[in-house]
Amino acid sequence: MLTVDNVVTSYGMIKALKGVSLTAESGKITCLLGPNGAGKTTLMYTIAGILKAQSGTITLDSTDLTRHSPVKIVEHGISLVPENRLVFSRMTVRDNLETGAYLRVGKNKKGIADDLERTFARFPQLRERSDQLAGTLSGGEQQMLAIGRALMARPRILLMDEPSLGLAPLIVKEIFRIVEELNQAGVTIFLVEQNARMALRVAHHFYLLEQGRITFSGSPGELEEEEVIHRAYLGSQRKGAPGEGRRR
Amino acid sequence: MTDFIQNCIDGVMIGSSYALLAIGFTIIFGVLRRLNLAYGPSIMLGAFVGTLLYVQFQAQIFTVAIATVIAAVLAGMYVERLCFWAIRRGAAVASMVSSFAIWMQLEEVATVILPERTYPFPALTEKAPIEIGPFFLRSEHLTMFVVAVVLVAVVHTVLYRTRFGLSVRAVSENPLAARFMGINVDTVMFWAFALVSAIGGVTGFLILATDQQVTPYFGLWATFKGLIAMMLGGMGSLPGAILGGLLLGVVEAQSLWYLGNDYKDLSAYFLLFLILIIRPGGILGHALSERERAAFRRV
Repeated sequence: MLTVDNVVTSYGMIKALKGVSLTAESGKITCLLGPNGAGKTTLMYTIAGILKAQSGTITLDSTDLTRHSPVKIVEHGISLVPENRLVFSRMTVRDNLETGAYLRVGKNKKGIADDLERTFARFPQLRERSDQLAGTLSGGEQQMLAIGRALMARPRILLMDEPSLGLAPLIVKEIFRIVEELNQAGVTIFLVEQNARMALRVAHHFYLLEQGRITFSGSPGELEEEEVIHRAYLGSQRKGAPGEGRRR
Repeated sequence: MTDFIQNCIDGVMIGSSYALLAIGFTIIFGVLRRLNLAYGPSIMLGAFVGTLLYVQFQAQIFTVAIATVIAAVLAGMYVERLCFWAIRRGAAVASMVSSFAIWMQLEEVATVILPERTYPFPALTEKAPIEIGPFFLRSEHLTMFVVAVVLVAVVHTVLYRTRFGLSVRAVSENPLAARFMGINVDTVMFWAFALVSAIGGVTGFLILATDQQVTPYFGLWATFKGLIAMMLGGMGSLPGAILGGLLLGVVEAQSLWYLGNDYKDLSAYFLLFLILIIRPGGILGHALSERERAAFRRV
């Protein structure tokens, strides 16, 4: 179980996360929805250790990982599928997957070969293209590669930052099918999305993040879908509500 | 025609050392996206330590070689810690300027060690040139070429067959994504510097053992040759570095023969301008995509 407790992260003087608390239960799909600039990616980077939390704690199965190095965090089983995929486009598909298992490369040859085999079994397209440069793959294939690469680290929790971004609707459907399949195979998933409609369909639990704060926590169905979608895209622009809206 | 071919042979032999220098620049540029102007001078400092042992203690050539490489590696690590590790990313200009400052510092250190301008450097072999039909091959050049081929093979193996190489390639392409994979970018940079400095040490030793003398200006010379060869071939491209080095060597040899010594460097610069106008990224270079640029900014 991943627990984020009252995390504050800033870029210089600007607070991007103003005390975010949430949990992602083991074996479940937890979604974080919110408009652009709400701090979703900032939260992902903070969990992954790229950005340092100013205060608050991040724990995974009772191990405190706050302000640890990204290396330590990957070692402890948090693996990220980054926004925009960020595959190594001038490396082969196989090498990309190998970087995912980087911490074990050279120490666990057999294990890595098995994991590669499993990844290729899950994503047959990647096997066909294993010696191709990743930059030559289609967007959907690159997303699968990014997911496969993250799984090569044998994570205890998989963080996914907007896996549907920039993909055609059919491919988005396919990606969400993969997300559900992975979850059924026992992978804990923490998903950040803007595509609220698709996310609500797979999530067990979801949070709304608006302007650096969690503004809703519940299961799909607890909130009118139209409202969720509205708030996930635009944020709640309730006039006069304290602490919300256009306060500077 | 015989002259032309002879020049090509000489050019390729000398160009192989330029190629090694360019590989050094290209790996560092790939990993850091910053120029290390002090690369040549740190090799020069290594050579000065080697020649110190030769002049003062009559060290054997093998000892001189080892000392040159070790001192070059230490100087390279010093440059990395000061100019590239201490000065954070995003401050590319600051790093480049400070690597220039360290260049001056390394030259000062060299003149403190050995205050005269020129010192003898031990010769690798005293053998007569090898005759192949109408062509001649200096045995030092042949040694240089063979070592260069071996080193290129070693670099290729390290980059494509080892864990360290995997991390170097990952960091070169996208340091942010590399960090998500659990790669320690700082460590990769440090050891990449060490590797590159070792290659530089060997290259410097071979060049100086051919010239049989060393001056503090060797640093300037090595930085120039390496940078030009890298720019010719394409920044960040390993095959480009090799191609650029060989091309530079051949062009220099041809213009030395047909135009004379005064025009040797001039034609090299002319070639550089010509290629940069036609292909700004170098012959095999590719422009950095916007997304890659963004990734480098964010780390």
